[in-house]
Amino acid sequence: MFTNCSLGHCHIIVAVVLWSICVDSRKIRGISLSYKRFYRERKSFLCIDGSKMIPFDQVNDDYCDCMDGSDEPGTAACPTGRFYCTNLGYRSHYIPSSRVNDGICDCCDASDEYRSQTPCQNTCRNLGQRERAEVEGQTRVLGERLRLKQLLIEEGVLTWREKQAQLRDLQRVSDDLQTQLDDLRKEEARRKEEADALREREIGARETADNSPTSHYRPESPISVFKELDSNRDGSITVDEVQAKLSPVQDEEHALSEDEAVALLGGAHRVDLSRFEETLWTSLRTGDSVTIKGRRGVPGSLADEDPNIKAAVSAAEKASADLKRVEDAYETVYMEIRDLREKLSIDYGSEREFLFLHDQCFQLKVYEYIYELCPFSQVTQKSASGEVVSLGKWGSWAGPPENPYCQMRYESGEPCWQGPTRNTMVMLICGTETALRSVKEPSKCQYVMELQTPVSCQPALRQRGVHSEL
Amino acid sequence: YDPECSQYVLLCANRTCLSGFPGQSPYRALLETLELTNTKLTLQLINDNNKVRLLLELYRLQGNMTRVKINELKPLKPRFEVPDVLINDPPTEPLSLLSQDENGVVLSLGADSQWLIVSAKPFRLDIMEGREVLLSLNSRGLLAFEHLRIPLLTALANGLKRTSTPFSLLFPFSFSPPQCFSPALSIGLHEDGMWEETFKSHTDNKPNGPSSISLDFSLPGVEHVYGIPEHADSLKLKTTDGGDPYRLFNLDVFQYELFNPMALYGAIPVMLSHSAQRTMGIFWLNAAETWVDISSNTGSSETPQTDVRWISESGIIDVFIMLGPTPTDVFSQYSSLTGTQAFPPLSALAYHQCRWNYNDQEDVAAVDQGFDEHDIPYDFIWLDIEHTDGKRYFTWDPHKFPQPKDMLQGLVDKRRKMVTIVDPHIKVDSSYKIHNEIRSKGFYVKNKDGGDYEGWCWPGNSGYPDFTNPEMRAWWASMFAYDQYEGSMENMYTWNDMNEPSVFNGPEVTMHKDALHGNWENRDLHNLYGLYVQMATAEGLIERSGGVERPFVLTRAFFAGSQRYGAVWTGDNTAEWEHLKISIPMCLSLGLVGVSFCGADVGGFFKSPSTELLVRWYQTGAYQPFFRAHAHLDTPRREPWLFGPENTALIREAVRQRYALLPYWYQLFYHAHHSGQPVMRPLWVEYPQDTATFSMDDQFLLGRDLLVHPVTEEGGRGVTAYLPGKGEVWFDVHTFQKHNGAQNLYIPVTISSIPVFQRGGSIIPRKARVRRSSSCMEHDPYTLFVALSPKRFAQGELYIDDGHTFNFDKQKQFIHRRLSFANKALSSRNLAPGSQFITPSWIEKIVILGASKPSKATLKTPDGKENLLEFEFDASMSVLTLRKPGVNAGVDWTVVLQ
Repeated sequence: MFTNCSLGHCHIIVAVVLWSICVDSRKIRGISLSYKRFYRERKSFLCIDGSKMIPFDQVNDDYCDCMDGSDEPGTAACPTGRFYCTNLGYRSHYIPSSRVNDGICDCCDASDEYRSQTPCQNTCRNLGQRERAEVEGQTRVLGERLRLKQLLIEEGVLTWREKQAQLRDLQRVSDDLQTQLDDLRKEEARRKEEADALREREIGARETADNSPTSHYRPESPISVFKELDSNRDGSITVDEVQAKLSPVQDEEHALSEDEAVALLGGAHRVDLSRFEETLWTSLRTGDSVTIKGRRGVPGSLADEDPNIKAAVSAAEKASADLKRVEDAYETVYMEIRDLREKLSIDYGSEREFLFLHDQCFQLKVYEYIYELCPFSQVTQKSASGEVVSLGKWGSWAGPPENPYCQMRYESGEPCWQGPTRNTMVMLICGTETALRSVKEPSKCQYVMELQTPVSCQPALRQRGVHSEL
Repeated sequence: YDPECSQYVLLCANRTCLSGFPGQSPYRALLETLELTNTKLTLQLINDNNKVRLLLELYRLQGNMTRVKINELKPLKPRFEVPDVLINDPPTEPLSLLSQDENGVVLSLGADSQWLIVSAKPFRLDIMEGREVLLSLNSRGLLAFEHLRIPLLTALANGLKRTSTPFSLLFPFSFSPPQCFSPALSIGLHEDGMWEETFKSHTDNKPNGPSSISLDFSLPGVEHVYGIPEHADSLKLKTTDGGDPYRLFNLDVFQYELFNPMALYGAIPVMLSHSAQRTMGIFWLNAAETWVDISSNTGSSETPQTDVRWISESGIIDVFIMLGPTPTDVFSQYSSLTGTQAFPPLSALAYHQCRWNYNDQEDVAAVDQGFDEHDIPYDFIWLDIEHTDGKRYFTWDPHKFPQPKDMLQGLVDKRRKMVTIVDPHIKVDSSYKIHNEIRSKGFYVKNKDGGDYEGWCWPGNSGYPDFTNPEMRAWWASMFAYDQYEGSMENMYTWNDMNEPSVFNGPEVTMHKDALHGNWENRDLHNLYGLYVQMATAEGLIERSGGVERPFVLTRAFFAGSQRYGAVWTGDNTAEWEHLKISIPMCLSLGLVGVSFCGADVGGFFKSPSTELLVRWYQTGAYQPFFRAHAHLDTPRREPWLFGPENTALIREAVRQRYALLPYWYQLFYHAHHSGQPVMRPLWVEYPQDTATFSMDDQFLLGRDLLVHPVTEEGGRGVTAYLPGKGEVWFDVHTFQKHNGAQNLYIPVTISSIPVFQRGGSIIPRKARVRRSSSCMEHDPYTLFVALSPKRFAQGELYIDDGHTFNFDKQKQFIHRRLSFANKALSSRNLAPGSQFITPSWIEKIVILGASKPSKATLKTPDGKENLLEFEFDASMSVLTLRKPGVNAGVDWTVVLQ
């Protein structure tokens, strides 16, 4: 049922039939022109398979003599025979002999019912006209459709390139990020080590100094703060340096005036370490008037006490945050690449003509259900009550070997009650719009959809000719 | 369904009870009450234990039958006697009294030195021929008759006691062991199940207490008994010692088991006995739940004997003894009682394509087209329940089948037909015309309290029309009129399913026994319901055509007489090899008791067949009377072309063989209709003395002349067919090879093989031009296959009519000819001089098997003309083919070979 797909629309090729070359004296019913040569009126007739010689008047005498049925092209006598509907004005074709004089009009020229009760009209002319009109229309439409198809192919090509470029970009970004990650991982490790080392050292020092080994309080030392404030490292702190580094506790944005700075330095413009410990350090330790810019917490913490450790810890934290950020970015890019690769690994047709269907979904309402096909992804059925059932996930192309791209299989949908999982076969047919045309369930939980799209249109093949009217 | 009936008090067969008290029948014939009239003998029987009297009526019926009727002499109220099954009051012949003494009477049964002996004490009947006992009744003393009673409390309240009725009269069987089930045995004041019993959650009320009946039959000299369908069992019935008896109670059984005496969809209480000397039949005319026990002394050194006991839950004993003596006689006898097979339209004998379900009109058109594309003939496409508007029969789903007439016209254009399903459960829905009319006319079956009986079925809550009511049936029939059944047309026929009836929430998925059909309980007539449904439906199809057209109705449930209304199938089988095999004995059993038009779902209903099984099933089904493929809703599609070109070709070939043989099938059905002879026959029917055939049910005969041994084994490489008939010959119909009779023939087979043989001495007409449908072949010429006997003789027939009307019967419009080959001449002579019919069909070819080469062949026609016929002779197979006699099939002619 699902193994054959039509390769687009039939095309009538007008064959010029030259009746003048038919010079046989007697008309043999039910044969085509090309077979006339077997039926030249002679004394006897040789079955076309050569199996038997019979008198010529036993041709079409309503009794089957030849195994191959060739002696009865015009009657129903031979079980293996065939009758040629000439169908002047329309398409000629063969029918099984069993359809000759069976009361059903098969040939549009009524030639098959020459001895039955059923009155058959010759409808070939009408059919031919209609079909020619249709074909002409379709030819036009087909042209349009093929143009659309070309556009979609081109779109597909562009999309493909775009996606490839995107993939390359992402790859590049990914590589960059990888490099960064390597650096950052090293940096982070280094910083961490540094901070840890400093801390350990300081704690060691403290423990000796404070003689309080149990203390978990690790104040900053005046030396470290002095060093921090001594921007130019000349061994003294100036008013400028105070103004630059310190701010009022209440308002960090506010700069200290020169007078205020001088006051903090005990009335001097420049202090050394010992002087600093007597003046500014006391103010900082109380922590209620001024603080070091950008510094949370009350001076007195380890960092307060040792700006070296503080800086090292802060640097380690920064390195860690940087690493996390880059790792996240890398993860995102990695996923994008994976998705894109997956997408690009799907077979979108010989010319990637089906690529445009990706990321699109098509719906059709049939009775009380809404069916949705998202090509290369999934098929669902939504009931009136809003319940959504999976009718299958993208499986593979399923057309016959000569035309694999005319059917898609979606499999492993929701299991049926007492049965296998639901699956859907999507038949692709030629049409102008890309749209879902029909949904059927020929067997329970086995769905068949028709998706029409110009991409499935094929250039007209040279098909069996239709007799023109001469 | 649980085949173990242990919960069912009633008729739960406890064998210790059933065997009762052999030889100690409490019944005695009161010879002083004997009355003999022209038509019958009557006699009272008394149960010496409780003094309840019964009335025995004996009839000698025309055609070598005896009817034995036993009823209560004075029942509390009338007991149910089955109506509408006998086609008439069977004509009687006078019985004459030969002798009488205090021990009994001897009556003559006619000229064949046949006697009927009535023994008085204990009561017993013996039918004798000469000095030989053919059959004895109550020889084991198992006659039992539970008389109707008033419940004790009621009796007491009514002051019955004051009338001094002895208690023993109220409760006659108080001797019975209390563990027994009711049939005439388990009676006591407080006996469970006597007035009310429960099965699972269902309660059954019995206002007049238990009312069962029982009688035993002994068949001396008999080792083989057959019939009593429907059971999924071997053709030869088995003894039931140590197991359940064969049960006859129409039930919708889910996934039935094989080789099991459990009840199925239909019930025909007719058993045939057969020995090399004689064939007889017992027709137990009772429509209540019935059990049949079979025991046999096979294996012992005594004269073989089979003992049978019948038990029914209610009604009377009304039994017809068909005395044969040949199988043919028994078939004639039985059909003289219940009628013959309906003569189906010819097309109904062709191939039917069914599925639950063809989804919509488009689907139907596509399947129809598929058959043409693959050049496979078919005549009928079927629509199951999903075609209706919400399971409301006589309607169409408005979305899926919006234009049923267009669809049907499409089939008319292809000369094909359709069947739609019409089940007897009616959706309780006040917007449904059918329901409203039935309700307003009071036509529904009632529950015991008088309200409409309702049960659960496909549509949900449903009513069940009382088909036992003739007015209801007439109304139902009128619903098939073209203006009533909207969307119906002449080429649309009917399928009655679920007519056991199936009640999803009823006891054993059927109707409660205390539901009321008029005054009668379902208990009394349960097994008749399905017959009535098909009867009313067939009548509807006849009426809609003004009485002109033959109906075609398929039913799942059936009873004795159902053969008059159409076809039956073996219900919901399974796609397994064993189910394919069992289709043969199941249809053979039905054929023996009148129902020739039988088939099994090709492919199997439940589950999905392997491709090989499907092919083999087509090959088998093509040679069974009703040939329909069907499949469950949940199974994948299995139209013949879905399994690759090779399998399509195999199925095509099987179907084509069926179509070519339709003239012979039609002729066989004409005979089934005319004389009650089965179409599909066990071999013993034609070879009654050949004991080798008595148990065979893997092969069968069609008519007398075709022997079919289908391949029903998975991976089968060969079959061993038994070709009967010493001194006879059989011809392989495919190769024309000749084989001797009375031998087991090993036939190597391939997947394309369908072993079929034509009897030497027969002539079979075929139509070689197989077309899209049987209608398309109507006027086609015939090919005659003349298979010569070793004595160079052959005989056959040709039957032709219009294929679909009653004109063959009413206006004698048919052709029936005798074809005979003798003395090197083949001739066609009129068998029915009073008939007339004109056919354009002619004789296309004559193939003579087992012939020798003539020097010339001359055709002589009545106008005195003589024409020489051309011929071919195949010396290797001794086949002579006469070319184109061309003579009309309806006239006299002779071909003389010299």
